[in-house]
Amino acid sequence: MRSLPSTLNQRRILTLLYIIIMVSFFFFFRLFYVQLWQNSFYQEKALKQRLQAIPLEGLRGSIYDRNGIPLATSISAHTVYAVPAEIVDAPSTAQTLASLLNLDVDFVYQRLKKRSAVEWLKKKVSDREAREIVSLNLPGIGVVPTSTRIYPNGSVAPQVLGFVGIDNQGLEGLELYYDSYLRGTKGQAVFERDAHGRSLEDGIRGYLPGEKGNDLVLTIDLFLQKMADEEVRRATLETGSRLGLIIMTDPKTGEILANSIYPSFELNEFVKYEPEKRKNIAVTDTYEPGSTFKAITAAIALNEGVASLRSGFFDPGYIRVSGWNVRCWNRGGHGSQSFAETMQNSCNPYYAKLALDLGDQRFYDGLTSFNLGFKTGIDFPGEIGGTLRKPSPQIPLVTWANIGFGQGLTVTPIQLIAGFGAIANEGIYSVPHYVKELVTKEGSYPPDIPEQRQIISTSAADTTAYVLRTAVSLGSGKHAEVEGYEVAGKTGTAQLVEHGRYSHSKMVTSFCGFAPKDDPQMAALLVLWEPQGAFYGGIIASPVYARLAEKALPYLNVKRGKVDRGTERQIKVPELTGLSLAQAEAVLKRNGFRVGTVGEGSRIIGQVPASGAMVDENTLVFIYTDVEYTTTTSEQPNPYGV
Amino acid sequence: MFVKGGKPDLFIFVAVIVLLSLGLVMVFSASSIMSLSEFSNPYHYVQRQTILALVGLVLMFILMKVDYRIFKPLALPGLVLSFVLLVLVLFIGKGTGGATRWIRLPGFNLQPSEVAKLIMVNYVAVYLSNKRENARKFLQGFLPILVITAGQFLLIMLEPDFGTGAALVFTVFVMLFVGGAHLGQFVSTIVVSLPVLIYIVSRKEYRVRRLFAFLDPWSDPTDTGWNVIQSLLAIGSGGLFGLGLGRSRQKFSYLPEHHTDFIFAILCEELGFLGGVSVLFLFFIIAWRGLRIAMRAPDLYGSLLAIGITSMIAFQAMLNIGVVSGSLPVTGIPLPFISHGGSSLLISLAGIGILLNISAQCRE
Repeated sequence: MRSLPSTLNQRRILTLLYIIIMVSFFFFFRLFYVQLWQNSFYQEKALKQRLQAIPLEGLRGSIYDRNGIPLATSISAHTVYAVPAEIVDAPSTAQTLASLLNLDVDFVYQRLKKRSAVEWLKKKVSDREAREIVSLNLPGIGVVPTSTRIYPNGSVAPQVLGFVGIDNQGLEGLELYYDSYLRGTKGQAVFERDAHGRSLEDGIRGYLPGEKGNDLVLTIDLFLQKMADEEVRRATLETGSRLGLIIMTDPKTGEILANSIYPSFELNEFVKYEPEKRKNIAVTDTYEPGSTFKAITAAIALNEGVASLRSGFFDPGYIRVSGWNVRCWNRGGHGSQSFAETMQNSCNPYYAKLALDLGDQRFYDGLTSFNLGFKTGIDFPGEIGGTLRKPSPQIPLVTWANIGFGQGLTVTPIQLIAGFGAIANEGIYSVPHYVKELVTKEGSYPPDIPEQRQIISTSAADTTAYVLRTAVSLGSGKHAEVEGYEVAGKTGTAQLVEHGRYSHSKMVTSFCGFAPKDDPQMAALLVLWEPQGAFYGGIIASPVYARLAEKALPYLNVKRGKVDRGTERQIKVPELTGLSLAQAEAVLKRNGFRVGTVGEGSRIIGQVPASGAMVDENTLVFIYTDVEYTTTTSEQPNPYGV
Repeated sequence: MFVKGGKPDLFIFVAVIVLLSLGLVMVFSASSIMSLSEFSNPYHYVQRQTILALVGLVLMFILMKVDYRIFKPLALPGLVLSFVLLVLVLFIGKGTGGATRWIRLPGFNLQPSEVAKLIMVNYVAVYLSNKRENARKFLQGFLPILVITAGQFLLIMLEPDFGTGAALVFTVFVMLFVGGAHLGQFVSTIVVSLPVLIYIVSRKEYRVRRLFAFLDPWSDPTDTGWNVIQSLLAIGSGGLFGLGLGRSRQKFSYLPEHHTDFIFAILCEELGFLGGVSVLFLFFIIAWRGLRIAMRAPDLYGSLLAIGITSMIAFQAMLNIGVVSGSLPVTGIPLPFISHGGSSLLISLAGIGILLNISAQCRE
């Protein structure tokens, strides 16, 4: 047996000591690495987890009308917030706040109990309420300034302006389209907090206010807008229409001077209105233009040399297109007409013929040069381009023939008035737009709008303008005449397309025109959807234009001048409206006119040419009777298909 | 019963007094915020800790003066007592987070596992010094100690309290190692117990994740990695000189257990690299002087007692610093003399008292 050592194994104790030294060194280097080498890394991470930022919105930029009158501005309002982690006595805090801010106790209590960093309790709090809350010094409750939208001049063109949401973000209209531009830069309030979200008493506190956003100057003129508002309201109510629209533009620039829709809505209470009622139908909806579109067809045909002022046409009441009879609204036919007379009479077969003479490709190319079937590029969200199909063998010629007089295609109101603008402005097309200037701290600059371009020749445009002038002075647009101004324009009535089919009772009636013809200052389009009773554009739409222009043109400083009523004036057409059929026929015959009757009633509700028009002797005058006339055109195939 | 003679080891004495003082300051700094919100009194924790530190110091001074050999006959009764306490705590114990670790006594929470450590050190010292020849044998020497240790370890794991259990096992192993056990016996023990440990750990997937979370705490920063990350953020923020006493930011409820198991992180944050290294150095002094005492003790029992007490404190310090610095898996174990907690403090100071008494009787 081996002898045992009297003491412990000294070498093993030393081994233990070495191990302890090694471990100590390991920890020494570990601390060195973490505390000195990685110091800034950990310091930053620790700081980041302690810092809490409450976002502060910079004031949103203002929107002005073209003369600098504010339409929408932002003011700084107080917003009450809670830091749930810092709330000491939630029930009594909720009670106090609820009674002070006129909120539901339960609502406040739920917010205070949330496990989030910051809860917004109420926005747009008054100065007095804000001061009271601050003076109460409730733990976890604070007040910060936030941006709030106000409308100093009321709800002006609300469909165009659009509105902002609860977080000051643009939701619709120009507020949405120019949102990134109007929006202020974000600031923030920073504080240091513990792991439960309570702010540290001796912690960092920082406050960086947001910066105000940029301003917009619109092309809209508050006073013209008010005039349009009044006229569209009156016209819609008087005709019992479901919906009315007036757009007014400066045809030389494409600037939209007024954009009025009735019924309208209140910007301050936009949530109470259905989205459908807040739309800017001028840009986001289409309709079938009807006879107003003949102006476009005429301009393309003149530009392509297919027609001229000397062209003539004999209308037997219909035109045969590949087996289909395309009928004129006047079944008896307009007989022999000059080029200008086809516009005055609004003769469908002639414009069908022009479309056919152009041929589908050439006609289509002309239409697309007017941006028809495409978006105009207007500075507005949600623009649509309308329905216009490319020529193909599948599309029968009759479809193009119909488009010639404004059926079988759809356009937005803005597309149509832009097209009339080009006709008015010597063939130069201006993309319509709502914003005149973007105003930043560095200065103002124009919005990014496509450049003007010549789409038809100056002579084609001028000739079309002349023909449109006669359509007012001698034709169906007679009621659009304004004393001292040469108004050019065209009426239109189309059946509403419902579920892919033409409605027999619902109409869309319109007038599109500009004045003065030779130096146009104002173009306007009036559209009425589903008028009750009389629906012909010449009767219900033209007078609205006259009333509007009567006020707008003087406002625009347009001088009244000598008016040329056209070269073919000889005798004056008498006023027939309100007479019985027999009386009217007697009056016309006595004065040397031929008579065409439309409808089967016994009382006269309208006439073409209008009363007061100067026409050739023996001109055919159409009288409209009060019993509804069932179809306007023909047994044509439904252009939309189903 | 009182002995006269040599002087107790001054290094250990000073190191312990410095650590204890530092501990009180740090407990105050770390707990004041929590204390204020829980008891409306920022001094709540530090008051309790100060009273216990004073009691512990008195205990230390008494044991320093009492001949350590009086504990020799208490080995077996002590062992029985510790088993009784360890079983008792499972039934009447209190604790936090699903663990039952304390027996509530008037004015004081007794932690049987802490008591068991010191009693076990005494028992093994007596056992090995009485049957010197048995230390090298397996059946008569190694195995009985192993069985008793395993029994205590399992009882502690039922609470559960892995940190203290590990400290107990480690301390016994060191004593056996120095006492002369064959290395082969350690190897075979490890070979046998390792599969059992692996089986226990791997039965629950979350245990495995917890175990290895310290290697990459950022992969699960809000759950298994939270403690390690918050601890590293505290230590790392400290830099060379620290944020200053009382200026810790991580104590604002980011770092859990910031006044107990993770107090070293707050210390490093407030006192910086210099503070952390100083604490490390003080523990090294205690370990070095403790081993030196073991080598010079007047008898084998004193030697083994010194080894046991030294390794008990040293292991606890290493495990704690290892966990807090993200070098070891997260395990709850207090840092001796510094962390808030009565039982650990009293047992550590009692152990130091005995160690100082042995040192006073050392051969030159």
